Amino acid sequence: MQTESARMTSAAEARFRVQAPNSTPRAMLVIALDAAGRRVVERLAGGGWRHATFLTAAAPDALRDLEGATRSVRDEIAAADLVVFVAGPGGHAHAVSAIGLACSDRRVTTTALIVGATTADPPEVSRTLAQLRPWSLMVVVAEHDDYIGDMMTALRA
Amino acid sequence: MLRKEQNDLLTLTGPGTAMGRMFRSYWIPALLSGELPENDCPPVRVKLLSERLIAFRDSDGRYGLMDEFCAHRGVSLWFGRNEACGLRCAYHGWKYDVTGRCVEVPSEPEASGFAKKIALRSYPLVERGGVLWTHMGEAAAAPPPPEWEFITVPRAQTFASKRLQECNWLQAMEGGIDSSHVSWLHRGDLDSDPLFKGARGNQYNLSDARPVFEVVESPGGLYIGARRNAEGGQYYWRITQWVMPSFTMIAPRGGHAVHGHFWIPIDDESCWAWSYDYHPVRELTPAELTAMRDGKGIHVRYVPGTFRPLANKDNDYLIDRAAQRAGRTFSGVEGIAMQDASLQESMGPVVDRTKENLVSTDNGIIMARHRLLRALKAFTDTGVVPPGVDPAHQKVRSAAIVLPPDVPFTEGARDVLVARPSVAPASV
Repeated sequence: MQTESARMTSAAEARFRVQAPNSTPRAMLVIALDAAGRRVVERLAGGGWRHATFLTAAAPDALRDLEGATRSVRDEIAAADLVVFVAGPGGHAHAVSAIGLACSDRRVTTTALIVGATTADPPEVSRTLAQLRPWSLMVVVAEHDDYIGDMMTALRA
Repeated sequence: MLRKEQNDLLTLTGPGTAMGRMFRSYWIPALLSGELPENDCPPVRVKLLSERLIAFRDSDGRYGLMDEFCAHRGVSLWFGRNEACGLRCAYHGWKYDVTGRCVEVPSEPEASGFAKKIALRSYPLVERGGVLWTHMGEAAAAPPPPEWEFITVPRAQTFASKRLQECNWLQAMEGGIDSSHVSWLHRGDLDSDPLFKGARGNQYNLSDARPVFEVVESPGGLYIGARRNAEGGQYYWRITQWVMPSFTMIAPRGGHAVHGHFWIPIDDESCWAWSYDYHPVRELTPAELTAMRDGKGIHVRYVPGTFRPLANKDNDYLIDRAAQRAGRTFSGVEGIAMQDASLQESMGPVVDRTKENLVSTDNGIIMARHRLLRALKAFTDTGVVPPGVDPAHQKVRSAAIVLPPDVPFTEGARDVLVARPSVAPASV
């Protein structure tokens, strides 16, 4: 007689898996921290995302939407489930500390993506890394900017 | 999450599929050398990439891998007689050499030349480091033989095993780059397994169950760094290598051997999980070899006479709920390999990735899929050779290392992430 594990791992049994949705949408905040990040974020914003908001860092504790309107860091973070930082090499991601602190206070998960790293000098990447690391649960250094879109899709943005 | 068509693209590897064609760009492990231990030994059935094949070693020690079935009436050549430089079908005596060419059809006059019109599809089979490797793509496109360090060190320094895993290759492989599960599923093994215990790095692991991850693209695949706090404000890094399509090398621990895996599709619902242990600068000790053969570390014990793990789905993986309650194992399943395999098989033969809910720490998995899909598109659209084919991409090492806080691990560990003969691995 088959064991339960043998029977339940068969392809036939896969037909009986519950088909109801197993999650509710998560709100993703994608924040450009510098000019390189802004270029990527502006391009991404046209992708028809249902659960993502795209912003850029402005003053030390302010954000702007892509139309230029000011948004409050605290309000935006309060509404987010995941914050994605986007920055290029060179160490221009100073704004991450104020936003990261707000995320930390609210226990909001953070991921950082460094774009354009493969063509940059390692010390330039290092400067940005040093800024992002204290505030990021996950850091990704991707060769191609299109990774961010794939990541957002994978995370159901 | 992957869309269904993306999931199909990555998981289906039979002849004619895109991923199957890309897998056929690589040299892949087919058998352990010990499965064909001597000239004229019994042939061995092999299924790879959804093709039924037969492997044999002829009277001159040459290896062959070809269509399992005789071209005459479709009989399995597993029953064949391996004699006088060929494999002879037990039914009517048709005989094949290691290249699949038919060299004798006893019922036809030799002068008719009929045998020359018969040939079975065959693939090269070469021995490197105790493993027999095959290239199942176009012969003209075959790259140089593999150069993984575990097969280039002296034989006394390396050990390889394989086990049947009863699920699709991708969900098995993704387990190998899912670093965040180690602190949960395997937490009971770091201090007890003879192939892991005693390393200083284990204390970093056990004292910090919430590492921070960094994923960086490498020439052949990915570096996946797990970062934990160390003394003096420094970081303890464990850097895993993933090389396309399905090779992983896990960061070493202390003076123990370095280890990792290959996941090779048998068909779309099962794969071979290859596991290797080696040390770049010393021989493996008798105690280490005994532990590996006894199924410790990343190896398993087998159902006698097979490569099927002794703990398998037909015995509910010998789950021990008392051990689970007592905390000796987290899942109730014993041994690192079967702790992984049992959960991966529980997903079903091919997991439905449209229903998963990945999180930030899954970026290693997300990036691996991204790279596979990107390489697949370039390979399919314009014939670009995928990463990992070039032997230079194979000369890699994982590393465990303590670095200053502002150093990118790819810089701080640059030298130790490359295989260098006679140089010890970076390990803590």
